[in-house]
Amino acid sequence: MKPLDLVRLIFGNLSRRKARVALTAIGVVIGTSAVVILVSLAIGLQRNANEQLYGIGDLTQIQVSPAYEMTEGMVVSVSVGGGVKDPGQPQPARLLTNSALDELRAIPGVESVIPREYLMTGVLIKYQKLEGGVGVIGVESDDLASLGLEAIEGGTELGRGVVVIGAMVPNNFYDPRIRPGQEPPPPPQLLGQQIQFIVSKYDEQGNEIRKNLSLRVTGVLKETRGESDWTVYFPLDQIKSLNEWSQGRRVNYNKEGYSQVVVKVQDVNQVLDISDQITQMGFQAFTPQSFVQGINNFYVILQFIFGGVGAIALLVAAIGIANTMAMSILERTREIGLMKAVGATNRDVLAIFLGEAAGIGFIGGLGGVIIGWLAGQGINVIALVYLANQAGQQGGPPPSVAVYTPIWLPLFALIFSTIIGMISGLYPALRAATMIPVLALKYE
Amino acid sequence: MKHYQMGGSIVRALDGLDLDIDAHTFTVVMGPSGSGKSTLLYLLGGLDRATAGEISIDGARLDEMDENALALFRRRTVGFVFQSFNLIPSMSALENVAFPMQFAGITSVQRNHQARNLLGQVGLSDRTDHRPTELSGGQQQRVAIARALVNNPSLILADEPTGNLDTSSGAAVMQLLSDLHNSGRTVLVVTHDPRMTRFATHKIYLLDGRSVSETEYQSAALESAQVS
Ligand SMILES: Nc1ncnc2c1ncn2[C@@H]1O[C@H](COP(=O)(O)OP(=O)(O)OP(=O)(O)O)[C@@H](O)[C@H]1O
Ligand SMILES: [Mg+2]
Repeated sequence: MKPLDLVRLIFGNLSRRKARVALTAIGVVIGTSAVVILVSLAIGLQRNANEQLYGIGDLTQIQVSPAYEMTEGMVVSVSVGGGVKDPGQPQPARLLTNSALDELRAIPGVESVIPREYLMTGVLIKYQKLEGGVGVIGVESDDLASLGLEAIEGGTELGRGVVVIGAMVPNNFYDPRIRPGQEPPPPPQLLGQQIQFIVSKYDEQGNEIRKNLSLRVTGVLKETRGESDWTVYFPLDQIKSLNEWSQGRRVNYNKEGYSQVVVKVQDVNQVLDISDQITQMGFQAFTPQSFVQGINNFYVILQFIFGGVGAIALLVAAIGIANTMAMSILERTREIGLMKAVGATNRDVLAIFLGEAAGIGFIGGLGGVIIGWLAGQGINVIALVYLANQAGQQGGPPPSVAVYTPIWLPLFALIFSTIIGMISGLYPALRAATMIPVLALKYE
Repeated sequence: MKHYQMGGSIVRALDGLDLDIDAHTFTVVMGPSGSGKSTLLYLLGGLDRATAGEISIDGARLDEMDENALALFRRRTVGFVFQSFNLIPSMSALENVAFPMQFAGITSVQRNHQARNLLGQVGLSDRTDHRPTELSGGQQQRVAIARALVNNPSLILADEPTGNLDTSSGAAVMQLLSDLHNSGRTVLVVTHDPRMTRFATHKIYLLDGRSVSETEYQSAALESAQVS
C-alpha cells in the first residue's frame, strides 16, 4: 500500500466513527495537556530561578586566573620552564601568557579568550562638582559586546580617550560639599560627558603623586546585577600603562602573564566541561555555571516528576484506545475478512489498525497540545500579575514567565501521544492482522 | 481434505475429494446444505487452508504458500463474489470497487478510472456515488462482481451469488458471470439453483464432502425428498 493511501484510508476510517473517536481522544487530550502544562510549569519555575541567579554573571563565561601552587608539597607541582623557585613563596603554577591564551583558544567550544586587568591603584572620579569611586577594568577588546555586555545608552565600543560605564556608576557620585540635611543631588546623566579620573600613587617618601585623565563616556551598560554595574571599562593597554606608571616598572604580559582572562564559551552546556579542562591545564577557573548546575538538576527532576504525573493520565487514555480498537475490530471483523479476500496482506491490515490507533493518539495529542499551550498562556497572564505584585512588595524584579513552553515540548508530547496510541492498538491490530480470512468473513 | 476440530469430534467438511478443474471453464458446484461447497470454494481461493492434501492452481501449490504469498495469490489471481455481497457500507459503489486496488499500490487516478469502467461494464454507470444501502440487492451484487474484477483475476469464485436475489436480478448476475467466462476467465459458481446450470460447461456434485456423479446425486436427492 502506498503511504499516502494508507493515511487517507486511516483518517477515512476514523471519520466514519467520529463520536467514538472523539470520546476516546478526550482521554488523550487530558493526558497530553496535563503533560504540557506541568512540564511547562517546571520549566517556567526553572527559568525564574535562573533569572534570579542572573546577577551572578553571564553563564557562558569562565573566569580564568593563574593557579598558585601550594608550597610544602601539598599539591602536585607543575613546572613551567626553568628557573629556580623561591621556596616559601607561592608561585604561579601556570601563567596566563599569550601562548597559554592560544592554548585556551584551541579548546573546542571556546568562542573567545579576552584578557582583563584591574587598575591596581586608587582612583577618584569627578564630574562637575561631584566625586565618586569605582572599579576600573581594562579589557583587551574593542567592544564589550564580546563579553556579553549590552549598552542601554550609547555603545559598547572601547577606544582611546573614551570609557564605557556600568549601569550603577552614576549612582556612585556624591557631592563632597553637601551640608547636613541637604537633599543629595540626583545621579548625573553621564553619556557624552567628560569625566575626570584622578589616579594616585605614593613615592618612597610617602608623597602622593597624582595623574589626571579626562575621558568621555560613550556608553552606559545595561544592568547585570553583577560586577559590571559598578565598573568603568577602559581599553587594556591604557590600564597597562597606568599600572606601569603606578608600579614604576614595565609589565610584560608575555613573561608575567595576565592576571585574569575571560573565556567565553559558545554553548552553556559545555561550560562545565571546558572549565574542567582549563583546571586540568593548571589554571584556576571559576564559572557561575557550577553553582547553577545543582539548581538546574533539581528542576530537571521536577520536570520528570511533573511529566510523570501527566503520563499517568495518558496511560489511562491508552487503555481507552485499546478498548476502542478492540471493539472496532470486533465490529469490523467481516470488513477485515473482505480486505484479506481482496488481497490485503497481514502487514496491510496491521498497518491500517495500528494507524487508526496512532491516529486517535495523534488527534488527542494535537488537542492536548493546543489546550495545554493555551492554558499555560492563561496561567502566565494571571500568575504574572500576582507575582509582579509580590515582587513589588518585596523588592526585586518581577519574573518574566511563570509557565514556559519550549517548542520541543509540544512536539515531544504529540509524538509521545501518537506512540502511546500505536502501542495501545498493537494487540488488537495484531489480532486483526492474523485473523483467518474465512472465519472473519463468516463472523456475524 | 478439510477437517474442523469441534471439541472432541471432528467434522469432515471435505474428505477424499479429488477434482480437476480446467482453465477457461464455467463450473457449477451443486450439493445440499452442509455438503462442503463453500468450504471447497474458500480453499480454492486461498481464504482457508486444507487440513491435508494438495491444492494447486495453475501450477502454484496453495498448501505450500506462506501467509504473504497466499495474500498475493488472492490479490492477483482470484476474484470473489459472496452471497451476502460484503460491500463496505460507508463507501460508495465506486469506492467499494476501487478499494482492493489500494493494496496493489495503484494510483488513485487509475483506481477511479478502472472502477468507473468496471461499473460501466456491469451496467451501473449511473450509480457510482450510491452507498450499498441505496442500491438494490441485484445492483449490490453487480458492484461486488465489478470489485472482484479490479485486479483482472483469471479465476472467479462465486458462492451462491444469486442466493439473496430475486429471479430476474439473479439471471442478470448469472449472465454477467457467463460473460466473464466468455472473456476467457475460469469461473466456479456454487449454487442451489438448477436453472443456473444452463451456463455451465462443467458440473460438480458434492455429497457429505465427497464428489459424486450426477446419477448418484440425483438418487440421493430423490431419497431425501421421500424422507421429507
Ligand atoms: N468453522 C467451522 N467449524 C466447524 N465446522 C464447520 C466450519 N465451517 C463449516 N463447517 C462444517 O463443514 C461442513 C461444510 O460446510 P460448508 O459451509 O462448506 O457447507 P455448504 O455446502 O456451503 O452449505 P450451504 O449450502 O448451507 O452453504 C458443514 O457440516 C459445516 O457444519
Ligand atoms: Mg455455503
